[in-house]
Amino acid sequence: MRAHNIYTSTFLFAALFFTGSFTATTAFAHSPICNCYNDEKDDSKVVCEGGFSDGGSAEGVGVKILNDRDRMLINGAMDADSTFTFTKPDDDFHIIYDAGPSHQVIIYMDDIE
Amino acid sequence: MTCNLHRLLVRSSAIALSVMGLSTSAAAHFQVLYTPEMAPTRGKATQFTMVFTHPVHGGPHMDMGQPEQFYVVSQRGGDSEPKRTDLMEYVKPIDWLSNKKAGGGEAQKPTKAFNASLPRSVTRSLGDHIFVLQPAPYYESGEDKYIQQFTRTIVNVAGVPGNWAEPMGLPAEIQPLNKPYANWTGGVFRGRVLADGKPVANAEMEIEFINHAPDQEGNRFADAGEVELPQDAYGTQTIYADAQGEFTIGLPRAGWWGICALAIGADTEHEGKALSQDAVLWVQVKDMK
Repeated sequence: MRAHNIYTSTFLFAALFFTGSFTATTAFAHSPICNCYNDEKDDSKVVCEGGFSDGGSAEGVGVKILNDRDRMLINGAMDADSTFTFTKPDDDFHIIYDAGPSHQVIIYMDDIE
Repeated sequence: MTCNLHRLLVRSSAIALSVMGLSTSAAAHFQVLYTPEMAPTRGKATQFTMVFTHPVHGGPHMDMGQPEQFYVVSQRGGDSEPKRTDLMEYVKPIDWLSNKKAGGGEAQKPTKAFNASLPRSVTRSLGDHIFVLQPAPYYESGEDKYIQQFTRTIVNVAGVPGNWAEPMGLPAEIQPLNKPYANWTGGVFRGRVLADGKPVANAEMEIEFINHAPDQEGNRFADAGEVELPQDAYGTQTIYADAQGEFTIGLPRAGWWGICALAIGADTEHEGKALSQDAVLWVQVKDMK
C-alpha cells in the first residue's frame, strides 16, 4: 500500500473533502487531477482537462456540473483526449471530476480562469 | 585532460582574485534557460531568461548570438501525443547586466542575452512542457573554439506527468531518470547522457548551482551569492557518466542546478574552428517544509 498524495493546484482536494485525511491509504497509486479554464475561442464555454498523477488517461472519467443546491446541470465524461467541454450554465456552478470513491476533484466556478 | 582545464577562462582571473582570493579559477560555461517555477500548480504566463554565464559565480557573462531554435514539446499524460510548438516569435534580445563581484568589482559591460515572455496558452494545459533552446555556437576566444549547448528546462503543470523521461533525439541531450521539476533537498538526481538518442559512455560532466539569484526584471543576477565556496573545485562539480552514459548526483541545496555533458555532439567543427556540442539540463530543488 502506498500513501496517496492528493494534490492539485488551488483546487479542493477531493480525498480531503471526502475522507478528512491527507494520508488516506489506497490501493490506487495515482491521484486525480483536473484543471478547468475558459475557452479562449468561445467565452461561453469551459474546457476541463483531466489526468492522473501517474500519467494515466482520463478517458471515460465522469464530469458532473452541479448548481449550488447540488442539482445536476450537466452529466458527462472525459473524451479520448481527457478533455470535457461544456457551455457555462446560467446558475452558479461547480464541477466534480469523478474518478471514483475518494478520487474526486471539485472545482468551483471562481477558480476557472 | 579535463574540460575544466579546456574551459579555463581568460576572463576568470578577475573572478578568482576578487571572489576566491586565488591565482586562477576554472568555471563552467552554462546556458541558462530560467523561469522561476518549474512546477506551477496551474498554467500561467511564463517568462524565460536565456543567458550564457557562469552560474556559480554569477558571471562573467558571454554575448549570445540569435538562438537557432526555441520550442516546447508538451504532453499531458502518457497516452497522448506530444505536441511541438515553435516559440521563436517570443524570443527578444535583452542586455544582461553584470554582477559586481563577478566583474571583479568593476561592472562588466552589458552582455547580449534573450528573454521570452510566453502567454498562458503555452503552458495552460496539464502535463509536461519540455522547453528546448538551441543557441547559436559561441566563440570562446580563450580556447579558440565554439561552444553550443543544447539546453532543456522542463515545466510541469499540476502534477500530471507526460514526456519528461522521453529522449528527444537531440544532437546532445541529458535524459532525465528523475523528474527534473520535483526534487527535494538532499535527494539525488539521475540521468543518462545521449547524443542523437544514443548513450554516451564516460561523458565528462559539470554541475553548477545558480548561486546568484536571477532578477528577471532587472536583467541581472544578485550581487551576493547564496553559498561561499571553500575552494574553486567546489564551484564546478565534475563527474563522469558510467559506461551506459548514466550518472547520479546529489542535490544538497534548494534552488536551480545545472547539469552539463561536455563535447558529446557529433558535429565537432564550426566555421573552421573546433566545436563542442554540449547538453544542459536544469533541475529545480525545494526544501521539505
